[in-house]
Amino acid sequence: MSDNKLVVGVFAIVLCISHNAFADAEKGRAVFAQCAGCHMVGEGAQARFGPALNNMVGQPAAGVAGYDYSQAFKQLSKDGLVWSDAELDAFLKAPMQYASGTKMAYPGLSAEEDRKNVIAYLATFTATDQPAEQVVDRKETENTIEQSNQSRPLARDAILPEHGVLHLGRIALPEEIAAWDIDVRPDGMGLPEGSGSVETGGELYDAQCAVCHGVFGEGEGRWPILAGGHDTLEDERPEKTIGSYWPYLSTVYDYVHRAMPFGNARSLSHDDVYAITAYLLYLNDIVDEDFQLSRSNFLSVRLPNEDNFYFDDRENEENYVLSAEPCMTDCIEGQARVTRRARVLDVTPDGD
Amino acid sequence: MFKNGTDNRRAFLKKSLAIGGAAGTTMLASGAGADTPDPLITEIQDWNRYLGEGVDSRPYGMPSPFEGDVVRRDVAWLTADAKASVNFTPLHKLEGIITPNGLCFERHHGGIAQISPEDHRIMINGLVDNPLVFTMEDLKRFPRHSEFYFLECAANTGMEWRGAQLNGCQFTHGMVHNVMYTGVKLKDLLAEAGVKPSGKWVLPEGADASHMTRSIPMEKALEDCMVAFAMNGEALRAEQGYPVRLVVPGWEGNMWVKWLRRLEVGDQPWHHREETSKYTDLLGDGRSRRFTWTMDVKSVITSPSPQAPINHGRGRTVITGLAWSGFGKIDRVDVSIDGGRNWHTARLDGPSLSKSLHRFYHEFDWDGSELFLQSRAIDEQRHVQKTKNALRKIRGENSIYHNNAIQTWHVKPDGLVENVEIS
Ligand code: HEC
Ligand code: HEC
Repeated sequence: MSDNKLVVGVFAIVLCISHNAFADAEKGRAVFAQCAGCHMVGEGAQARFGPALNNMVGQPAAGVAGYDYSQAFKQLSKDGLVWSDAELDAFLKAPMQYASGTKMAYPGLSAEEDRKNVIAYLATFTATDQPAEQVVDRKETENTIEQSNQSRPLARDAILPEHGVLHLGRIALPEEIAAWDIDVRPDGMGLPEGSGSVETGGELYDAQCAVCHGVFGEGEGRWPILAGGHDTLEDERPEKTIGSYWPYLSTVYDYVHRAMPFGNARSLSHDDVYAITAYLLYLNDIVDEDFQLSRSNFLSVRLPNEDNFYFDDRENEENYVLSAEPCMTDCIEGQARVTRRARVLDVTPDGD
Repeated sequence: MFKNGTDNRRAFLKKSLAIGGAAGTTMLASGAGADTPDPLITEIQDWNRYLGEGVDSRPYGMPSPFEGDVVRRDVAWLTADAKASVNFTPLHKLEGIITPNGLCFERHHGGIAQISPEDHRIMINGLVDNPLVFTMEDLKRFPRHSEFYFLECAANTGMEWRGAQLNGCQFTHGMVHNVMYTGVKLKDLLAEAGVKPSGKWVLPEGADASHMTRSIPMEKALEDCMVAFAMNGEALRAEQGYPVRLVVPGWEGNMWVKWLRRLEVGDQPWHHREETSKYTDLLGDGRSRRFTWTMDVKSVITSPSPQAPINHGRGRTVITGLAWSGFGKIDRVDVSIDGGRNWHTARLDGPSLSKSLHRFYHEFDWDGSELFLQSRAIDEQRHVQKTKNALRKIRGENSIYHNNAIQTWHVKPDGLVENVEIS
């Protein structure tokens, strides 16, 4: 295992001299996980279902000696295609469209960033500056290590824990529990120390939330709406927001902290979350602009719709359970007539 | 090779269209006598002569290239971003009761987390004697069990509350799948930590960027919940929570937390986002039901259906579909071809397992006139499906979740099928 760390170190140095400043080869490495089932890279890489991908960038297509390319790829080679960044990008976007008939049965990378990053990653395996790691196949490396390793601990020396019934797992450390136990409940359980004002919350919100949720919480495009919608729950199109629908404020704190901003979860400090929660209350006309939310006054704030939820009572509905045998013949008078048709007829994309 | 096959078939289709003048329909292979010999029989085909690919040409086998249209599909306008979105199982193309792993519908709230099993940890904390951490290896040392269960999203059929919307059972009913899970019992894991007497609820939490959480009552956790690492005999698919997910049999899919990393025991529910803002059922009076966990009895005819029209003309016709209930086994399914005027009890085929999909068939001779197909399932506890109007009368149109009403397909005299509502 400690060998692995060393290799990562060498790899990082190679990254620093990577030729493409915008793409991130380290991120590309993660993207490559999708390719690794079929492709190997690095020293000693061999063909799997796809060819080894060393020396790809800037080199002629279908150039790996001894690999049996599809007709489609042989044709690309005849046409003199060279794998420039741009060609690789186009290929990886939709392989089967780019080279109809290719053996690379892979739908492609739709995100441009993923493509740029994975190409940057491949570029680290060109000619001289190859990292000495056979990155793809952790399992295989491990197996070889294990086989060659004479000093594998003996089973009889394993320490059996005392806890529990089957003595499996280990006791969680307090620091570990603290790191993961982030949930907050309506009774305040889980709320950390901290506080934040509507004013700071507004700044944070405008910078990190408004792009999607709108400056007033009205929701840009189809992103969720967070504010407004009072007294709409009985309307034909109810607007369910924090102010109009959510029963508990603790849910706002908990959710923003665990999942937002979308794409950068867990990046907000406790004070940030208190401030944003205060601002969301303000956007919903529940507090004034000079309000400050903290752990100590948290439970004093109630959301208007709290009392309008009740426990599942479907079983009390009429005919939820059959009381008699259901009708089998002549159950409804007259012939069936169409009263409504599917409104969206074109959801089924044809072919591909 | 495959390519040649396709070309050949196209050529043949063209020929037979020319000969039969079949007016653009696909009613080709019907029983009517042939005037000219079928070249697919009289001519030697490429695949009769040339060798196909050898073993190992696909280390992981894939469906035949002719099945390329059998895929999950999404409805792009439903959500703002593919990373917090949903797609649908192609029910109209499936047989039996098992959903192939690659076709199980997906619903993510923060994209598909890719987690190496070596890097994954599962923690149990809260009201327990010993808070514990397990690795995946530890997990597999508990007694393992395999069970078939359906997983249905509570919002399945949710777009149909206000009236017929989407044309295809993939879209109206495709947020369900049924696989065999292998894993360990949640009760065995909890016993290892030792639940304190005050522990009445469990909060599972995911490791993905949404950190999904739901409150599950202890009775259910101890009754039949599983912590599963395999589906249909192989490791979970990444999009189904690899390396490990929670299985909550018969209850709404959102509770089956994927990428499961933590189980907290508590004395009260948490009322988190997915059980307040979402997955609560807003009724006509503006009030809402919460904790509507059980998936109701439900069924749908998968063929014929809008994506699976009748191409063979009148005569012998097979109606098939799926039925399921979160309360247990399906007792019986009735099928109507006249919009609920008359019902015929369908034939249940294959295994009948609790909280698992059931397959039904109804075979009949179609006279070629228009049909209004419906199916009505009854489970072993006598729960029954209602008509859409009856359900709307009780719940209004804004529930989003738990729409288990009877679906109607209109089969027209040309065999095409449309999603409709009827008088
Ligand atoms: C399902 C297996 C599979 C997956 C997954 C896959 N590939 Fe491939 N790839 C192939 C095969 C097979 C070929 C050879 C193409 C041919 O002969 O038609 C190929 C060819 C290539 C080539 C051109 C090689 C050459 O010599 O010209 C590149 C570059 C490439 N793949 C990159 C990628 C990247 C990057 C990914 C991941 C984002 C990826 N592939 C995912 C199977 C795969
Ligand atoms: C890139 C777009 C984006 C950004 C930026 C963003 N969100 Fe969100 N937000 C979403 C999406 C998408 C969802 C729904 C996720 C889901 O369905 O699982 C959501 C859901 C929410 C919800 C729950 C809405 C409901 O009705 O259930 C709240 C509250 C929220 N976001 C607050 C915030 C806050 C506060 C910030 C800034 C710190 C923020 N979001 C930044 C996209 C975004």
